[in-house]
Amino acid sequence: MKLRRMTAVFASKFVAKICRMLGKQGVTWAGKIALMIDPAILSELAGDVREKIFVVCGTNGKTTTNNLLCSTLEAQNKKVVCNHTGSNMLNGCVAAFVLAAGWNGKLDADYACIEVDEASALRIFPHFKPDYCVLTNLFRDQLDRYGEIDITMNLVKEAMKMAPDMKVIVNADDALSTYVTMESGNAYATYGIGEKVFEESINEIKEGRFCKKCGAKMNYHFYHFSQLGDYYCSNCDFKRPEIKYNASHIETGKHLAFDVEGRHIEANYRGFYNIYNILAVYAAAREAGLEIPNFVEVLKKYNPENGRNEHFSIDGTEIILNLAKNPAGFNQNISAVMEDTSEKDLIILINDNDQDGTDISWLWDVDFDRFQADNINSIIVSGIRCQDMRLRLKYVDISSSLEPDVEKAIRDRIEHGCKNLYVLVNYTGLYSTHNILKKIEAEYSGKQG
Amino acid sequence: MKITIGHLYPDLLNLYGDRGNIQCLMKRCQWRGIEAETICYEINDEIDFSKLDIILLGGGSDREQMLVCDKLKNIKKSFQTYVEDNGVVIAICGGFQLLGNYYATAEGNIEGLGIIDLDTDRGTDYRLIDNIVLESDLVSMPVVGFENHGGRTNIKNNKPFGKVIYGSGNDGKSGYEGVVYKNVIGTYLHGPLLPKNPEVADYLIQKALERKYGEPVVLKTLDDTEEKEANAYIYNRFKGKVSKPQNQEQLV
Repeated sequence: MKLRRMTAVFASKFVAKICRMLGKQGVTWAGKIALMIDPAILSELAGDVREKIFVVCGTNGKTTTNNLLCSTLEAQNKKVVCNHTGSNMLNGCVAAFVLAAGWNGKLDADYACIEVDEASALRIFPHFKPDYCVLTNLFRDQLDRYGEIDITMNLVKEAMKMAPDMKVIVNADDALSTYVTMESGNAYATYGIGEKVFEESINEIKEGRFCKKCGAKMNYHFYHFSQLGDYYCSNCDFKRPEIKYNASHIETGKHLAFDVEGRHIEANYRGFYNIYNILAVYAAAREAGLEIPNFVEVLKKYNPENGRNEHFSIDGTEIILNLAKNPAGFNQNISAVMEDTSEKDLIILINDNDQDGTDISWLWDVDFDRFQADNINSIIVSGIRCQDMRLRLKYVDISSSLEPDVEKAIRDRIEHGCKNLYVLVNYTGLYSTHNILKKIEAEYSGKQG
Repeated sequence: MKITIGHLYPDLLNLYGDRGNIQCLMKRCQWRGIEAETICYEINDEIDFSKLDIILLGGGSDREQMLVCDKLKNIKKSFQTYVEDNGVVIAICGGFQLLGNYYATAEGNIEGLGIIDLDTDRGTDYRLIDNIVLESDLVSMPVVGFENHGGRTNIKNNKPFGKVIYGSGNDGKSGYEGVVYKNVIGTYLHGPLLPKNPEVADYLIQKALERKYGEPVVLKTLDDTEEKEANAYIYNRFKGKVSKPQNQEQLV
């Protein structure tokens, strides 16, 4: 069926090209068409991968972890297939392989790094069995789509059982991820932050207050954030397992640093949660038998261009664009913003398209009261559900102004703001806001030139 | 004047921004100079119902509701006395189901408080998930929110909270949503319910004050521009349309 495979690759690449010309991502369509022409294409192309296939799964940090893992492998002179854009359902996964294949329908790759949506894993694993699965964390997210978190946990567990030879690299600090992994019966290796980092935890909504194994109350020696921390059940033997890749001597603030396996790791990113992303990549590469001597170099060069902490500098205004799509992620974003003690403007964009989750009640589970600080110069709310966001802020005594059009909001802040701007958006706003910022950046550099 | 709100089992029942309902009640009291306090009861705490003016019973997952239901047996009697004595209750989603006789799940029946004669059976096909708009006799503005429930609730001869303008409501068929019994409102609407429906919040506050102080109460008018605009956005977007809840499998 080689002809079929070639036709599928051709058609899919063609569609992707057209979509790009139209300014759309088109990855989903490309995957859909390939699969329609050749239903076996994903398993066949995955079979062409010479060494190992990694998947990255979990609520938050998938895209960053997966892309960083890809960069790390590439820096070992490996050829890697990766769904960089974060299209992580079946079609997006197919597209990653198909678009990386040659016109002859063959794939030339040493590794694959595929980010997989928690609910889609069950639809992807029938096509291929990964060698490793990184499970980053499980938080409440898009309750309208996934239903309750117990449902998500079951989906992930069933997917793991489907690939019994797959080794799971799991965040031991998350009781939910750890429980799911243990229940699946798959082999696993753990990573985590063994030591207490913060003096006290903020009053966040926490999942998993009760032991998933026996239902009794879960106790904690300490929390890092949300439900991540050093947990132990008050009744049964369930507790945080021993951590194989244990980060110690944590430093946060303007940059991140920690030690693992006697090595010192540094990165120029902000946000405590990024320690987990970096650590997950390190653990995955090490489990696959790689030495990665140049890991710190890789981190230094890694420049996300996908709206995850993406930096722009336009007409003297420093702008950070970041994704914030659920309470755990948003709370971590707030921490990262507030670590910057200088004066700042904020734009918060909330959409409720299908991919965002049509239910936006989670906004009330985010601790926005932490924006009641003197160094917040202004807040503009934007997106389809800007009225909801404005109302949310009203109930923590924060006033904001309404501008449904994010481009206008950004231009206004570049012209009249305090030169330090954070743009926090949820999922479907990410790509368009990124493009708007690119466009404005080009305009201004044109003016200067 | 002072109001004491009892938030029941936020350690288990805290889905869908329930916290926002508490924040809304507190703020709307404080903005009027009414003192407000919230007591959070965890699952093993003793509840003194005589201290409470409003009770909020939120939603949780099936598994968590099962854990709560064991405890409810212990407070069933005092909860019932509170309700019959015109105590104000806002019960959302799982909390609404727990007010009734039973809630059928895949793992078996969860016994409810039996305070209101209503039953919840398991939907065989799909969950009812969408934005929702109601018309309610209790208030003048439309009531807007979001529903996400597998259970189909039959409120029998009880009075519904509202008539469905957009969305599914109690069972996706009757055209009605929620229940009103004495000073109890049970509803599937989260979003959370109260911030975008300030009249419902004020209805609860007013009933609670009148019960506590034994005299008619007129609440001070607040500037609700933001609340009204958020409410109107949902109303205008969905009025006249037909909700089509999809099978979850298709969405994954």
